[in-house]
Amino acid sequence: MSVAENRVDELVTREEIKTLSPGEAKRTTYGIGLIKGLGITLRHMLKPAITIQYPDVVDELPARSRGVIALKQENCTVCMLCARECPDWCIYIEGHKEARESVAGKRAKKFNVLDRFAIDYALCMYCGICVEVCPYDALFWGQEDNYSEHDVVGLTHEMDKLSQWMYNVPPPVELELGAMGPEVKPLPTAAPAKEGS
Amino acid sequence: MSSLIPTTDRWLSEARLSGDGTLRTEEMVLNIGPQHPATHGVLRVVVTLDGEKIVEAKPVIGYMHRGHEKLFEQRDFRQITNLCSRMDWLSGINNEIPASLAVERLMEIEVPRRATFLRVIMAEINRILNHLMFTGSFGLELGATTPVMYAFRERELLQSAMEMATGGRLHFGFIRPGGLKEDVPRGFVDLALRGIRQLQRAIPDYEDLLIGNEIFKARTVGVGLLDPDLAVEYGVSGPILRASGVPYDVRKAEPYLNYNEFDFNIPVGLHGDSFDRYWVLIQEMKESAKIVEQALMGLPSGSHIGQVPKRLTVPKGAIWAKAENPLGELGYYIVSDGDSRPYRMKARTPSFSNISVVPHMLRGAYVPDMVAVLGSMFFVVGDIDR
Repeated sequence: MSVAENRVDELVTREEIKTLSPGEAKRTTYGIGLIKGLGITLRHMLKPAITIQYPDVVDELPARSRGVIALKQENCTVCMLCARECPDWCIYIEGHKEARESVAGKRAKKFNVLDRFAIDYALCMYCGICVEVCPYDALFWGQEDNYSEHDVVGLTHEMDKLSQWMYNVPPPVELELGAMGPEVKPLPTAAPAKEGS
Repeated sequence: MSSLIPTTDRWLSEARLSGDGTLRTEEMVLNIGPQHPATHGVLRVVVTLDGEKIVEAKPVIGYMHRGHEKLFEQRDFRQITNLCSRMDWLSGINNEIPASLAVERLMEIEVPRRATFLRVIMAEINRILNHLMFTGSFGLELGATTPVMYAFRERELLQSAMEMATGGRLHFGFIRPGGLKEDVPRGFVDLALRGIRQLQRAIPDYEDLLIGNEIFKARTVGVGLLDPDLAVEYGVSGPILRASGVPYDVRKAEPYLNYNEFDFNIPVGLHGDSFDRYWVLIQEMKESAKIVEQALMGLPSGSHIGQVPKRLTVPKGAIWAKAENPLGELGYYIVSDGDSRPYRMKARTPSFSNISVVPHMLRGAYVPDMVAVLGSMFFVVGDIDR
């Protein structure tokens, strides 16, 4: 072989095939392998079934399963971070500014008011970046997964529908032993990083 | 002109060239695909047939081209890892790892040890999932319907471990430049370990079902021989290359993550036929199970992500990062102009190189063997066209 044979000592080479050239394999006595295989099938046939009868029995989804993106409308500040970070650009947000008197005599504060929040689930690739980047906890992963439509246009869901899906948002899961949050980022002027929180 | 009208003599002499000389045969061009049960995705093979013999076979690719490389140029680096997993949809994590490795190396981000371990665990579980799929479906393509049922039973437990951690069953989107999206939930280690133990108990069954089966042997031994030198010339990699006897695996040749800390072997075939390719896949599952076991046992505590700025701006430069995808060597060449998006990102996917050698393997084979050859080439069409 012209290819460099590096690390050959670490390799497993097949023992049983060494003596078995392609021609010889055709001459092996038929039957033993077949009977062995049938024995395995028989053994498994006698074991209880492991399948779930889906429409009647629904398997429980893990808490992190990405079913649908639910919106907590009152938390949204129309910052547009999710729409900007979305790899598919499938989030449509519209809003306007409103001035509200907070304390008498003080200048009116300006607020963003959400007019439209829609996600096109025909484009969405369920990556969850929008849920991750949302700084105000307005987006969550819901468990609902049964929202197919007859028309592709119907897959663009508006905020009333997105808010309804909040009913099925599981609480965050407990982490595996030994897990720590991300290490504290050092400030530009501060001393080196502290160990995790 | 007289030369346009064939004389009886010329007609006879041409007829003798084809067939075995006694019968006048004609070559026939047959389109197999764009859909075909022996392929995973939409591939078209144009075969020129002389009777039952294949004179020439030409895979026609591009039906699943989604323009990934162009898409990468419009997306920032965090979004890219999520797009990557769509290229080879059977091994999402393994697609994401080299992409984030490239970004990490350019940005000089240090990945925490726990994140590296979890990446290895997930990459190897993903490799097992991929191999189970192909070993199961290879039997199915040759008419053995039982192995795929057993393979999917073992897949289910490992799949649910992955689903528990990432929330996805196919497109995991769990790797981020610098580490992981989040840490794994409580119970992941137990579930993954249970899945691995179940797999280790089930592998002898797969071996008895097909490797010892005479019909399977008759259909695969000596079929679709791939010469190691030809394989290297065409850039074939992964289990197909190793089945031809070339001991090349990126995990050993240029260890990335922390593969050099684990004890595992690289199975190598002897003849490079369809049977060897199947055998290598089964053996690789055993080795991957060993790696997952070691990594789960030695999982250190710590953070799941390194110190990553909120906005990923990659410094100017170019980098080539590669990793061992379940189907072969997967690499990304990233050219950055200092923006948060790559200037150019080239993907070298294993299936593209692996499928390019198929015309050589099919030449002179019979039509029924075509399924055995294509089924054992283990390609994902999305990975060819991307």
